[in-house]
Amino acid sequence: MFGIELKNVTRRFDNVLALDRVDLKINAGEFFCLLGPSGCGKTTLLRILAGFDQPENGRVFFGERDVTAVPPHERDTGMVFQNYALWPHMTVWKNVEYGLTMRNMARHERDQKVKRALEMVQMSGYAERSPNQLSGGQQQRVALARALVIEPGVVLLDEPLSNLDARLRLEMREQLQDLQRALGVTMVYVTHDQKEALAMGDRIAVMQMGEVAQIGAPRAVYTQPATRFVADFIGEINLISGEIKSVNPEVVATDVGEIRGHAGYENAQVGDRALCAIRPEALDFLLGEPNATDNVISGRVRQTTYLGEVEQFLVELATGSQIKLMKYGATARGAQPGDEVRLRFSQQRVIVLRDGEEDRDEAV
Amino acid sequence: MKRFDLNWPTLIFLLGLIAFFALFLFYPLWYAFVQSLVVDGRLTFAFYELMVTSPVYQEAILNSFRLGMITTIATTLLSLPLAFLLVRYDFAGKGFVNGLILVPMVLPPFVGAIGMKQMFARFGSINLLLMDLGLIDQPVDWFGGGGFVGVVILEVLHLYPIMYLNVAAALANVDPSLEDAARNMGSSGFRLFRTVTFPLMLPGYFAGAIIVFIWAFTDLGTPLIFNYRQVVAVEIFNSIEDINENPMAYALVVFVLLLTVFFFYLSKATLGNRRYEMIARGAVTSGSRPASRGMTLLIYAAMLSLTGIAMIPHVSVFLTSIAERWFMTVLPQETTGRFYAMVFEHPMSLSSIEMSLMLSVLSTTLDIGLGIAIAYLLTRTRIPYKGVLDAVAMLPLALPGLVLAFGYLAGYSGTFLDARHYPVPLLVIAYAVRRLPYMVRAAYAGLQQTSITLEEAARNLGASRLRTLLQITFPLILANLVAGGILCFAFAMLEVSDSLILALKDEYYPITKAIYALMGRIADGAFLASAMGVFGMVLLIVGLFLAGRFLGRRMGELFRA
Repeated sequence: MFGIELKNVTRRFDNVLALDRVDLKINAGEFFCLLGPSGCGKTTLLRILAGFDQPENGRVFFGERDVTAVPPHERDTGMVFQNYALWPHMTVWKNVEYGLTMRNMARHERDQKVKRALEMVQMSGYAERSPNQLSGGQQQRVALARALVIEPGVVLLDEPLSNLDARLRLEMREQLQDLQRALGVTMVYVTHDQKEALAMGDRIAVMQMGEVAQIGAPRAVYTQPATRFVADFIGEINLISGEIKSVNPEVVATDVGEIRGHAGYENAQVGDRALCAIRPEALDFLLGEPNATDNVISGRVRQTTYLGEVEQFLVELATGSQIKLMKYGATARGAQPGDEVRLRFSQQRVIVLRDGEEDRDEAV
Repeated sequence: MKRFDLNWPTLIFLLGLIAFFALFLFYPLWYAFVQSLVVDGRLTFAFYELMVTSPVYQEAILNSFRLGMITTIATTLLSLPLAFLLVRYDFAGKGFVNGLILVPMVLPPFVGAIGMKQMFARFGSINLLLMDLGLIDQPVDWFGGGGFVGVVILEVLHLYPIMYLNVAAALANVDPSLEDAARNMGSSGFRLFRTVTFPLMLPGYFAGAIIVFIWAFTDLGTPLIFNYRQVVAVEIFNSIEDINENPMAYALVVFVLLLTVFFFYLSKATLGNRRYEMIARGAVTSGSRPASRGMTLLIYAAMLSLTGIAMIPHVSVFLTSIAERWFMTVLPQETTGRFYAMVFEHPMSLSSIEMSLMLSVLSTTLDIGLGIAIAYLLTRTRIPYKGVLDAVAMLPLALPGLVLAFGYLAGYSGTFLDARHYPVPLLVIAYAVRRLPYMVRAAYAGLQQTSITLEEAARNLGASRLRTLLQITFPLILANLVAGGILCFAFAMLEVSDSLILALKDEYYPITKAIYALMGRIADGAFLASAMGVFGMVLLIVGLFLAGRFLGRRMGELFRA
């Protein structure tokens, strides 16, 4: 088991920058998620780790070892492919055994390890089946066993759950986490599903157009997004633009009044164009008097949507823009379309982001 | 809703189709089968006994097997590396190189043999050239083993493109992520090929190998020219004259037929239930990568030298056709165009061209009609036993021409279709049946790629079924139909086994039979035959080129099993 380090890795496909000077450190034994929309470079990054693709620039280290030029079959990684890539001309057993055979392991040792690996993923009864006779979830587990049986230094997973239906996905998610914890192996997990990344990762790297936008623990990435892109991509968020009036604590002058929050980026200056990012669940209807740390804005309810465990309100502000509010576990009806309401939100839950020009085009 | 679309026109056409296949596909085979087993109303296995006990037939069968095996192995060794280079690497001019591979197919191997015999004779160009260069002292017997080597060389040079098309398709269909997975598990190089890539290619490879084997096993023209007579095909051919006294040929034909069936059954039984394509899902990375400069150079060097060697028969046929005098010299001493003039003067060559044109036009017309109708039924209607219709229409692809032609000759002997009196109807049908799969495939591909909603849109706006067919469907698939038609025509013009077996009177000889007959009949036979061969070659090149233009890159699909 080892950690992974990427230094200044660049990869270009026909003038499209798939990876742009990426620096990344993955700790040994960590469950690390690469998260981003399609085309952000996360799969390219994973293929570079596996050795299927070479960076034009930069180096890749497994522990102390520079593996940049090492061919895939000498890397000692175990990869789980998005389409599982189980060999259809081999049985489940042969598929799992293959990596051990390639390592010239003795027969009885192979048998033992394959048996254990299949037990680990609860596929012992299917050893003699052909992969074609298995369901998606079963194929998934065999692919996992194949990657784990060689006891690799790192397991690479390329959207392994994306071909499964929703319920199975949840089940596999838990199994995968349990396995990772039990084995203590480093896992690099590529996904475009932010919920998956939040639920599974020890840390997440959010990628955007070939660059790493933010790295951090799930909680940090969710509550403290570093850019508008990250804020938008993970979960839902309301953005109110304005200009920074004073710093520490930050006060932003907006069209709906002054909003107090805290900067999500370094060196926030008075006069910066800024966005106040507020999660919908951070908002609440103000019924009595506000606390000293609360921001308050007012508007009119446009639409309510009842979703069971949560009720969602769209509130139109004085400027005409809309803001979303979510209330969990509401038993009685909170507000109705047309109601004039005041909204409160604590200043701890307002992240002040830079309103950069470059962000504006990319963010939704 | 009804389970099937069976209106009266469809039903009548289907019945006609059944009758057609019954009469001209199954009856001839059945006839040969019965004749090989029943003599004077009694069941006998005497002929099969003779086949395995007589040294003559043993020898012939053994030779044919050797011919088939060696040809299959040699074409495999040629096409596997070739397929890897051309499928796995991207380089400038890839389309051109892919086209180059098909070039050797434009000459029936037996015509090439005529030229090769001149060039590789004891005192032919090659030996003389090598002796001039001081590389050898004594002339080399190139076609050693009584011509066996010569036959093998020509079969290999003619058939490796077919093997290549199958192998390349099989390789291209291997999901790259399956190889990536193996590399990830520590496999590489030949080990990766042996454990993962080749097993996955096996179904496609096997299909190609069977075609090549059967083709070499049953080729008639090439052994005849090399006078290598101890093979099954020639034995069958020789017994045509006295078929009524010696029914041995029936047994041999049935043997070839059973062999073919056996191989296809074997491939189905061992590989048929493996549907490798099905499992690959999700994002698939591209399996090819750009070739480096050195690699590109290597690819071109390999391709050009291979094509160069494969073109030796063509070049030698051309040289022979323009040689005024060619004896004991490397190149002809004097060249002449008189053999080309002779093609249009000699009564046999002239009538054979007329004959071939007529036969090809008629058989192609029949193919187009049947092909479109069958493809339409398969893609656009719900009829019972669709799979059977599909299989039957494709059957001639696997059936050796020799077997079918022999069945026609024997089965319709004594009827108004008797080829001994007037072979034209049977020749037209034989040509048509043999090429039908190409036409069905071409039309099928067109119909499948044309969205049915385009037709439904026309129906929705009030066009009748027939009108939709004529105004919407046909124009959309015209390119496919034209390409299929050109292929049928070009191959019919140079058809060998049907022509050799079914045309038994001088005045009904098609081109190929005339070439064969002229070889032995007149003093300048080889030269005149070569000139006719060049004509045929040009015709086939133009045909393939035109078909390629209409069909684009999908052309290779027509030659795959």
